[in-house]
Amino acid sequence: MSHAAHEDTPQGPRLPQRAWAFLFERLGLEVAQSLAAKKTVPIHRCAPFYFLGGMALFLFGVQIVTGILLSLYYKPSPDQAFESVRAIMTEVEYGWLIRSVHSWSANLLVGALFLHLLTTYMMRAYRPPREFTWFTGIALLALFMAFGFSGYLLPWNQLAFFASAVGTKIAGSVPVVGEKLLLLARGGENVTGDTLARFYALHVVVFPLVTFALLGVHLFLVQQHGMSIPDREARRHGGEEKVRSMPFVPHFLLRDMVGWYLALGLLAALAALFPWELGEKAEPFGSAPEGIKPEWYFLFMFQALKQLPPHVLGIEGEVVGVLFFAAVGLAVLAIPFLDVGERSRRVLNYCAVPWVAFIIVMTAWGWFPDHLRLSVLLGTGLSLGMLVLTFPFLDRGGPARRLVNVLGAVAVFIFIAVTAWELLV
Amino acid sequence: MRSLLRIILAAMLPLATISWARAQQEEETKPAAQGANEVEPLPEEYSCMFCHGREGTLAESDDTKHLVVTEEDLTRDIHWQKGLRCHDCHGGNPVLDAYVDHRDDPDFLGRVIASPADIAKSCGHCHSDLVFMRRFAPSSRTDQEAEYRTSGHGQRLETAREEHAKALEQFKEKGGEGEPPVFEAPHVATCVSCHGRHGILAVDDQNSPVYPTHVAETCATCHADKDLMAGLAFGDPPRPLGHDQYARWRESVHGKAMLDKGDLSAPTCNDCHGNHGAMPPGVDSVANACGTCHGKVAKLFAETAMKHKFEEQGLPGCAQCHGNHQTLTPTDEMLGMEKGGVCAECHKNKQYGATLAGAETARAMRSGLERLKREISEAEDKVEEAERLGMEVRGPRFDLRQAVDALTNARSMIHSFAAAPVEEALNEGLRVTAEVNERAASALAEHTSRRVWLAASLVPIGIVIVLLLLYIRTLPIPTK
Repeated sequence: MSHAAHEDTPQGPRLPQRAWAFLFERLGLEVAQSLAAKKTVPIHRCAPFYFLGGMALFLFGVQIVTGILLSLYYKPSPDQAFESVRAIMTEVEYGWLIRSVHSWSANLLVGALFLHLLTTYMMRAYRPPREFTWFTGIALLALFMAFGFSGYLLPWNQLAFFASAVGTKIAGSVPVVGEKLLLLARGGENVTGDTLARFYALHVVVFPLVTFALLGVHLFLVQQHGMSIPDREARRHGGEEKVRSMPFVPHFLLRDMVGWYLALGLLAALAALFPWELGEKAEPFGSAPEGIKPEWYFLFMFQALKQLPPHVLGIEGEVVGVLFFAAVGLAVLAIPFLDVGERSRRVLNYCAVPWVAFIIVMTAWGWFPDHLRLSVLLGTGLSLGMLVLTFPFLDRGGPARRLVNVLGAVAVFIFIAVTAWELLV
Repeated sequence: MRSLLRIILAAMLPLATISWARAQQEEETKPAAQGANEVEPLPEEYSCMFCHGREGTLAESDDTKHLVVTEEDLTRDIHWQKGLRCHDCHGGNPVLDAYVDHRDDPDFLGRVIASPADIAKSCGHCHSDLVFMRRFAPSSRTDQEAEYRTSGHGQRLETAREEHAKALEQFKEKGGEGEPPVFEAPHVATCVSCHGRHGILAVDDQNSPVYPTHVAETCATCHADKDLMAGLAFGDPPRPLGHDQYARWRESVHGKAMLDKGDLSAPTCNDCHGNHGAMPPGVDSVANACGTCHGKVAKLFAETAMKHKFEEQGLPGCAQCHGNHQTLTPTDEMLGMEKGGVCAECHKNKQYGATLAGAETARAMRSGLERLKREISEAEDKVEEAERLGMEVRGPRFDLRQAVDALTNARSMIHSFAAAPVEEALNEGLRVTAEVNERAASALAEHTSRRVWLAASLVPIGIVIVLLLLYIRTLPIPTK
């Protein structure tokens, strides 16, 4: 598509083409075009996992658009926050849809990021020279969880108020800096209007700015290093260079778009069928409501901390728990450096499997503390999902595939049995 | 006989002193008494308790048993706690060194105040003295004795006294030969019957027999005694007093509120009958007694022609429909001419001059109430349905309370015995209910439309996905 080519035609180029050429020349879009033309995506059994990053990016886009729309009506003060969200839900045209999409999309986004992290780990896409892509990815996950935590308080409802009080209190139990951290998070000793104001500022200004910066670096690195191909796939094809690939534009982008449209449909369905609840207005001096729990992605930590005894080896149980989770977080961050050979990889896998199981079980338990059947249902359902994710990594007919098949069959049986039990009994 | 008793008591005094001293020693060796129940030690020179302080020091006959006052009783007594001692009520000299047989002491009043006829006077000696009482409680009442004299109890006592005075007069007129007539006080409640003799607790003490939750039981001590109440009557013409008031009150809405729910604002005996001036309310003052709490209803009733008709017929106001002691929770079934309707009792048979037009009014009011109840229930169902579907209907839910308030108001307005005010209240309720119904219905419609739009939006999304997939199929993947 060159500018000169059109000038040769007797009638001259049409208006859209002329406009495109105008922008192309002035904005230096050649660079973008050449990058797009250069970018390819490998084709192999694990290739569907490449969609997760794009899916997260799309959901982040949804968050930006719906977030901006919500900010037009939201009022970040304890007196008005709840009422303004209620007005958004009841009085603003399509406000209920925007808010529900924002809430659902936030949850789907964190879910997509968790899966992205897990599949990236399984594909070992963090290998050199992609360590910094991994680091920025982990930082982005932490950032989106912080987005979720700060956003949870903004409607200023009873559950969010007390969950935020509990969450910030946990931050306060970090040794040495805990007290300062608590004051910093709450803007005082208690959760007040000051906490709401700073959570709002973090949610709509600070976190988005940091996210844009980190996301820029993350995407640049992905572009710079190309897509990582799992070792096993490379071996299967007789070397990385022999693995087939497709152009990102338009081949992979179109496939990405299919996923985005599916996500859009899912969001619309969730928002229409399960509008996000508003709850009761927070009463800071009232008693804490029953069943306080944070967002589901914090639930495993919350539930685990609840189970800890008051003291472990003379140290406060909560402090031990917080230190443990901090250590795990650091270990996850340092995975590119910990995975240095076949043996260390095996050790990492041995740690990762029970860790994922721990997260699933604790989340299910935290979600349904009094409903064993539902916990089992959720636990087996999620475990089944995890098993399915391992399929692309296993050779057809191999012993590992057979074992996963058997485990899958058992999980399906448990899932169906418990579902029937839950529905019928 | 009395001389013999005096000799025995005098002989027992040294023995009692030794026994008291030993008991004191034993008390001292015991661990310290705990907390607020700590018993204030009696002053050493205080003599009354030497004899009256424990059983065994006085001959245990029926005559003397009531003279025993335990130290525990005495020290929990509000008067004792305020600094009053035995001689402040009973007279005499309590100092040990100056011991004399107090029955010979002209200042000793013990026997005088033992008579029911004089108890109110004795208590009133302080309790009717505003200047004296102000020292202990600035807002203390001082009209109890005066009130008592106007009460059924006080009047019976006064009548007996007058009859005795007349008998004495007649005795004197007849020359005073033989034994003069002895005053026999009737069995009638005096201050001590309700408040106790010794160990009198403050009225706001939860253990006091006159604390709201104990008042009915305290009254029932006598008023539920069949033998004691036999032959007693009140009013003009006299009606038997009966003895089932407590049992009936216990089953009433008031009794249940007080004793089962612990609602201290619920009325007990004294709230309708008065306490010191206890008297059954007259036929014409029943509405006033009820109106103490049910002010709005009483005011409405007072302005009706019905009130005058009731008075003319000698019907006891509120109690005519609601009963007196066994006042049950009012229901809508009480209104109207059907079974359970209290209106029917008079209007059906035109009793007491009741008219059939009144019956029609009652029917109309009842059907209005039923309609509003039905509308509220339907609106409530709709709001609940919308809530269940996740729609935001907090506004209509709040407004629905106004409809319920209007229903309550209409129920009160029934006591105007006129159709118009009831209809006005009902219309207000119906207006609010219609609004709530409309908003709940619109929330339900909104929910349906959301689903429709969801389905509609999924169609283009689905079409785009299919088109994308079709287009993807046409794109050959370039071979490397």
